[in-house]
Amino acid sequence: MAKVLIPTPLRQYSEKQDSVDLTGTTVGEVLGALTTKFPDLRKQLFNDEGKLRSFVNVYLNDEDIRYLKKDATPVAAGDTLSIVPSIAGGSAGVAPPPIASLSNDEIMRYSRHLIMPEVGMEGQLRLKNASVLLVGTGGLGAPLGMYLAAAGIGRMGLVDFDVVDFTNLHRQIIHGTKDVGRKKLDSAADTIADINPNVKIERYDTMLSSENALEICKNYDIIIDGTDNFPTRYLVNDACVLLKKPNVYGSIFRFEGQATVFAFPGGPCYRCLYPEPPPPGLVPSCAEGGVLGILPGIIGLIQATEAVKLILGVGETLVGRLVLYDALAMRFRELKLRRNPECPACGDHPTITKLIDYQEFCGIPSHEPPPAPGVKEGEIDVVDVKRKMDQGEPFLLLDVREPHEYLICSIPGSKLIPLGDLPKRVNELDTATEIVAHCKSGTRSAKAVDFLKQAGFKKVKNMKGGILAWSDKIDPKVPKY
Amino acid sequence: MIKVDLQAWQVMVAHAEAKFPNECCGAMIGKIDGDVKHVISAEPMENAYGGSQGARYELRPEDLLDADKRARAAGLDLIGIFHSHPDCDAYFSKTDLENSCPWYSFVVLSIKGGKFDHANSFLPNAEQTAAEKEELLWPKS
Repeated sequence: MAKVLIPTPLRQYSEKQDSVDLTGTTVGEVLGALTTKFPDLRKQLFNDEGKLRSFVNVYLNDEDIRYLKKDATPVAAGDTLSIVPSIAGGSAGVAPPPIASLSNDEIMRYSRHLIMPEVGMEGQLRLKNASVLLVGTGGLGAPLGMYLAAAGIGRMGLVDFDVVDFTNLHRQIIHGTKDVGRKKLDSAADTIADINPNVKIERYDTMLSSENALEICKNYDIIIDGTDNFPTRYLVNDACVLLKKPNVYGSIFRFEGQATVFAFPGGPCYRCLYPEPPPPGLVPSCAEGGVLGILPGIIGLIQATEAVKLILGVGETLVGRLVLYDALAMRFRELKLRRNPECPACGDHPTITKLIDYQEFCGIPSHEPPPAPGVKEGEIDVVDVKRKMDQGEPFLLLDVREPHEYLICSIPGSKLIPLGDLPKRVNELDTATEIVAHCKSGTRSAKAVDFLKQAGFKKVKNMKGGILAWSDKIDPKVPKY
Repeated sequence: MIKVDLQAWQVMVAHAEAKFPNECCGAMIGKIDGDVKHVISAEPMENAYGGSQGARYELRPEDLLDADKRARAAGLDLIGIFHSHPDCDAYFSKTDLENSCPWYSFVVLSIKGGKFDHANSFLPNAEQTAAEKEELLWPKS
């Protein structure tokens, strides 16, 4: 006869008894008698194969039966058997899935994932329980949003305040021709919902700012930066460092791109790589310098791959490595990045403890001065240029754009001298002739006018608004680009 | 629902903060009254994990057995296990889940920068595949 002590939570299966006297000559026999007497206890203590569950320890008096003779350990009269769980744990390992199963439709949808052991059911559930914030639904955000949705990310936040424009369509494939004029958020959400209706989409119709970034980012496991301006890059970086969330970074320009993972604990952040922003205007944006339409597909999908690896916990991530991609050479290079212990954001003694004014940090006035109404000194309106032409007034229309822009469109009768060539070709111009300079929007031609005035030309004017204004006000057949 | 008395709560938080940046662990003793688990006292225990204890803990079954005996002697029950997560949130991690047991409430205390931040309680299933969040009430000062 031995006494078995029943732990509190199991007493609901032992008719509320806290201890039970049972007969048996071995531990196995006593436990057998116990589960015969209380069949509901069997499921608690034994698994389907009839083995003690992994967390169940049985003690004979003060000794673990594993170190005696296990089930065959002899039991004498007056012995006490105790059931004690083994318990351990720790924060190591990502929080587990609160959603513990997939529907049959989802199992079919993700079958090519499920049959790979590196993903499997556990990985697919991780993806379903993961949340990702896409900052921007443009060039990078488009492939990111589409592929991450298809892969089964459970919840996606989209941040964008922009409207789909014709100039977006050569690369932002999440938006279609029919979407021009719609909010990018709505267009992107429709495409994502069509690809995978299981994705929960959360829309933020706003510009990410120091006021809202922490509040928005804190709701997501991974933040993906798909923007192309420096203030937002620093903002996303600092928010991720402060929130201890990985920032999956990508950038594109013309034929080249970069990607890495910043702000992963122990790894470098964007400020470790670029402590200071470049002077405003030095690094052109894609709108100014152009971008190969396919390029964001490659870079965005490198970012998507990193996000999926971070969620699955597989492979070698880009933490501490910056991938540089050159589409013309079709070459990938890699730079090692280290966390800078002196970094103001992620260093040992950080000085950035809250978000700052990133426009100011990047040297951009937070309030752009409004464009002066009317025509300023030294400028001429396109309407007046057209009248001069029609009236046959003698003047030279000087186009200072690049030759490849001239091939897109030009104003009849204009002479092309690219701004950069002007100093060496200035002798082609006559100081006696009135000159009207133009470019795409008026910025470069203003520089040309300044240069010519310094070179002694008196009768020079800048055509306000450039060829874009010409297309708007004079000749809509001239395409805008 | 699990409700923790002030004295027990102070013992748990003090133990968790004292062991920072390591994880701490211990047992919660009390009474079950219908749907409410009432924690009357907490017993700090030694973290018996063999490796680095920054993100791991292990309870000795012998310590639990002793705690269970003392609880019975006092007419009380062992009703929960607590441990801390230094510098991260009070979620129930994969490691927590895979080494859990469905019989007890698992209270996780998030300790950030050495100070208590927040806590959650979980009820793992028998297969160790999922844990349900349980309402946790502690005395807020």
